[in-house]
Amino acid sequence: MNWLVNNLWLIPVAPLLAAGLIAVSKQRKRSFAAAVAIGSMAFSFLIALAAFILTLLPEEMFRQTVSIDWMQMGETSLRIGWILDPLTACMLVMVTFVGGLIFIYSTGYMAEDRNYTRFFCFLSLFAAAMLGLVISNSLLLLFICWELVGLASYLLIGFWYHKPNAAAAAKKAFITTRIGDVGFFVGMLWLYTETGTLLFYDGGNGCLEASSLAKLVSLSTVGGMAVSTAIGLLIFCGAIGKSGQVPLHVWLPDAMEGPTPVSALIHAATMVAAGVFLIARVYPLMAVAPVSNLVSAHHSPDSVAIVSASEMHEDSGQPGTGSGENVSQAKGESATDPLHGAAQSTASVSSALRVVTWVGAITALFAALIAVAQTDIKRILAYSTVSQLGYMFMGIGVGGIGVGMFHLITHAFFKALLFLGAGSVICGCHHEQDIRRMGGIRKYMPVTFATYAIGMMALSGIPLFFSGFWSKDEILHGAWLWPISKGPFILGLAGAFLTAYYMTRQMCFVFFGNYRGARASNPRDSAHVESELAHHTPHESPPSMTRPLVVLAVFAILLGVFGTPAWPWFEGYLAGHSAPFRLGRLFEFGTLGLMAGSTLIVLAGIGLSWWHYGLETPSNPNEADPLEQRQPRVFAVLRDKFYVDELYSVSVIRLNAATARFFDLFDRLFLRGIVQGIAAGVNGLSWLSRAVDEFVINLGFDRGCRGVRWSGSRASRFQGGKAQSYLRVLGVALVVLMLFITWGGTW
Amino acid sequence: MSSVDYFQLLKLVAPEAVMALGALAVLAVDLLFMRCSSHHQRQTMGAFVAGLGCLGALLCLLQSGESASLFGGMLVVDPLTRMAKAALLILTVFTIILSIERTFSDHVGEYYALILLATIGMMFLVSSEELLMIFVSLELTSLSLYILTAFHKRSAQSAEAALKYFLFGGMAAAFTLFGISLVYGLSGATGLREIAVALEGKELDAPMALALVMTVTGFGFKIAVVPFHLWAPDAYQGAPTPTAALVASGSKVASFFVLAKVLMIGFSGFEGDAGWRHFVSGWAPILAVLALLSMFLGNLAAIAQSSVRRLLAYSAIAHSGYALLGILSNSERGFSSLMYYMVTYALTAIGAFGVVAIVEERKGGSRLSDFAGLGRESPLVGLSMMIFMLSLAGIPPLAGFFGKFYVFVAAVGSGSENSGLLWLVIVAIAMSAVSLYYYLQVLKQIFVADETSEPSVVREESFTNIAICGLAVLVVILGCAPNLLVAGFDAAVRTAGFK
Repeated sequence: MNWLVNNLWLIPVAPLLAAGLIAVSKQRKRSFAAAVAIGSMAFSFLIALAAFILTLLPEEMFRQTVSIDWMQMGETSLRIGWILDPLTACMLVMVTFVGGLIFIYSTGYMAEDRNYTRFFCFLSLFAAAMLGLVISNSLLLLFICWELVGLASYLLIGFWYHKPNAAAAAKKAFITTRIGDVGFFVGMLWLYTETGTLLFYDGGNGCLEASSLAKLVSLSTVGGMAVSTAIGLLIFCGAIGKSGQVPLHVWLPDAMEGPTPVSALIHAATMVAAGVFLIARVYPLMAVAPVSNLVSAHHSPDSVAIVSASEMHEDSGQPGTGSGENVSQAKGESATDPLHGAAQSTASVSSALRVVTWVGAITALFAALIAVAQTDIKRILAYSTVSQLGYMFMGIGVGGIGVGMFHLITHAFFKALLFLGAGSVICGCHHEQDIRRMGGIRKYMPVTFATYAIGMMALSGIPLFFSGFWSKDEILHGAWLWPISKGPFILGLAGAFLTAYYMTRQMCFVFFGNYRGARASNPRDSAHVESELAHHTPHESPPSMTRPLVVLAVFAILLGVFGTPAWPWFEGYLAGHSAPFRLGRLFEFGTLGLMAGSTLIVLAGIGLSWWHYGLETPSNPNEADPLEQRQPRVFAVLRDKFYVDELYSVSVIRLNAATARFFDLFDRLFLRGIVQGIAAGVNGLSWLSRAVDEFVINLGFDRGCRGVRWSGSRASRFQGGKAQSYLRVLGVALVVLMLFITWGGTW
Repeated sequence: MSSVDYFQLLKLVAPEAVMALGALAVLAVDLLFMRCSSHHQRQTMGAFVAGLGCLGALLCLLQSGESASLFGGMLVVDPLTRMAKAALLILTVFTIILSIERTFSDHVGEYYALILLATIGMMFLVSSEELLMIFVSLELTSLSLYILTAFHKRSAQSAEAALKYFLFGGMAAAFTLFGISLVYGLSGATGLREIAVALEGKELDAPMALALVMTVTGFGFKIAVVPFHLWAPDAYQGAPTPTAALVASGSKVASFFVLAKVLMIGFSGFEGDAGWRHFVSGWAPILAVLALLSMFLGNLAAIAQSSVRRLLAYSAIAHSGYALLGILSNSERGFSSLMYYMVTYALTAIGAFGVVAIVEERKGGSRLSDFAGLGRESPLVGLSMMIFMLSLAGIPPLAGFFGKFYVFVAAVGSGSENSGLLWLVIVAIAMSAVSLYYYLQVLKQIFVADETSEPSVVREESFTNIAICGLAVLVVILGCAPNLLVAGFDAAVRTAGFK
């Protein structure tokens, strides 16, 4: 089985090769491109599955790494490598599986596109970068893949670059995420300066292992903040950008200009989750708190984080996340509850994790509010994604890796399902994206309707049978037990209510009532809409698109089984110990009460929304939204996304423009005089040097070149027929060399 | 003299034996069974059997793990020679693949048998530390290569090139033999390590200096350094393409290997010093002069060429100049970087000649203008040629860059105090900047220039294309991960027992 670990690099390399192969093949070879791309994903999926099974075997080590010297720089060498642990394994399986399905779906969705092969080339490139990001054991390699993922995202958002909107959105996404990446990069450099390594785990020398962490936490920087916290926050900046958290969330909704499979794969299921994954990966760094806390609260998670990190490489069967390890040590309520062990004293929660939690909680509510008033089917889902990513960060902040990652995995499946369903609807409605111009589609597209409904229920958190309920419940449970504040819990509950509300609204608009697309002419003309098509009725999508929907729907239901409070298998798996099945835990007061509460909230959201939209669906697309009729002001604020974009354009962007204008003027008025003075002097000088150049150097060089040519022609002349002269040269050379070393002497 | 254990001997020379059997098999198969088949079938069959021989030998190499030194160094088997032989075999396999689609000769069996024989000569050359054995293997290689150069019988150029190659080589061999006899006279030994022991503490007197110069002459001819390079442009131009590739690749790798061994082991007391203003007579100043001349003449003459084959010949001369720096550094590090340099250079050279072959097949010539429009006609071949040219010019991250980098670092860091070889390294770097000019000339023709004439014949050359792409990929991989090769050579050199 060692073979598998040593060859884990095959997983990202297969799609990379596919991308290269497609890039050099001809544009006409459409089915070849699709086959290569899907084949490479299938190959990666099989290896990923094998790796996943490997991590399930009890006799295998919890975490295995392979490191190689990449390049030698003086005394030190830069090392990169890959890692296999449960965190990586579950991400690998998720990315390759969801990615593979989306590749298949794309063959249907993009069938008409002229640049079909280019699309698959970019998709494969993206998959390669994402998989590389997941397996990397070095922050540097992770960063490289992180940027590659960003590049692929840029290329794919701007895939229809002839649309000005798409081109602008691509640029916006690239620049906005880059702002976060600056922080990430600075954090990485700082980490390297302090610890001298960027490998995560390296047999005790990695930057996430006990010795480095102890060093980082003992140093303090501005304002008494521990260096570990500062670095953690800088790295979190990168995660904020990539995962679209407030205040850098503005790019994600715009990114929906890309083709729908891209939205599903990159901007819902995988890439945006990379930020969450990054925080999960560096969780030990985020979780350590300064030493003073260790003294006051010796059973705090921070001490545990260090203890468990040190135990990890002694017998790697131990948990590395801290939250699981707590079980044996902590007392009180949390001792009975292995899932939410992080909840004890206030001092024990590191400031980095507090920031993560608050940012996540605020984003969760904020984005959900905006989603309520949107009318573009994909934008609603985009804001929903932002909101759900907020939940994931909150989950990591309050409950540890297991909680956040569980929501990440379930979300990947049902959000990909929703996006692909939306794509199917868009295709069926002849590239109409405005939900006001849809309606009653369940009659025309039964498969899409059924699967979309499953996705919607999973996202809203309908109890018991849908994965989203369980994963969201874990987060709320963690937030309930969080010692710092109940604020995130309340924000989360409000977000859950709104999630149910806006999803029901969307369902009502799209699938219920009567089809409204036929009556309206199309005022908002997008490049893909032929207005004469608008009077056609919707139609069901081809099997290549519906089959992935069905598969995803099945998983959107089933995955919940692995993370119920009764059998928290997933958390146990990530932490490296097995979780016993105890039905009783389901009925404990705290758990049951919370479940009941969140169920009520969700049902209230659905009910309210049904009352607003379901009872009498709007019959005319130009009619005002029912909510708008009731609360026009609030609705306007929400529809315009809290004016964040406008705020940025009047603050940051205008500041930028003003600075530019100032320097432009400064440049013209002040510097120009100096420059022109200097220029005159330089002109004189250059005239002189040109004279020298032309008459001295150039002439000399020309002569030299002519000399070389001449000697070349000389040489070839006597090479032309006379072998004798060669031999003469040989003899002469021998004599000259002889003389040289005998009498050349020592100088 | 103890009795010889022939079984042991056979085990140690198993790769060479397999190659010899392969040569016989190629002859037999072609002459007995393939007489009535079409030319293409004969070529494919011959290449298949010859390739099988090479792969068999490679397998033997990889299986055996023992080290031994027999008959006073006549046959040395250790990790280093094994690696060198493996490299030679891989280069030969590529040469064979390039030969499949060539049509210059009807004597298919003989052709492939000669390629294998030349390779056997090279393999013995690298696994010997004894002057006589070295000389015999040198001759086996050279004679096979002379014939291979003349193999294009319908071309007068080919015959002329072969004759010049032969005359020049014969004379150089005569000098070498004379040098060897002088060494034997002075030391009473022919094994390199015994020579070193016998000559320890001796002054560099006139007979010794003569022996040194004459020995160097023979190898200087093989590695084509100025002023022993005169045959090279003619031979590269006249020879059939695969032969030219073999002369530029395998033969050079083996010759550099053995030259380094002879100088660093056999003449270890006479290295002298080539440091700036610290000249001390010995082989180092000789090599420094040869390197200097080669870098200058090779690079400058290449600028004036209009034929790509001649351009490659002069570029080969310049590269020999750079590579000599590896020997000049006179250290283990220098030896392993020299081997990395030569192996990657050889891969690149074979690839470049493969592209030349394709262009000649299409346009009937290999002038620079014949390359015009190649990038549009067959993008993959154009792209590969770009990789080869940039690697030869030493652009990172291709293998050529790291080759130069390691050799230069070894030369600067070598024993002599006050970094004595720095002046040579500076010249080398300046000259490689010059070289970029003519390599880019080729690329300009391929990608920018408009096509001048329509291609006369377009044949599908799948084998050649595969070989070229494979080589290009190898050059990129070895460039991105130089440690794959360097680490191996480093370890092998350490066990081989240099100083």
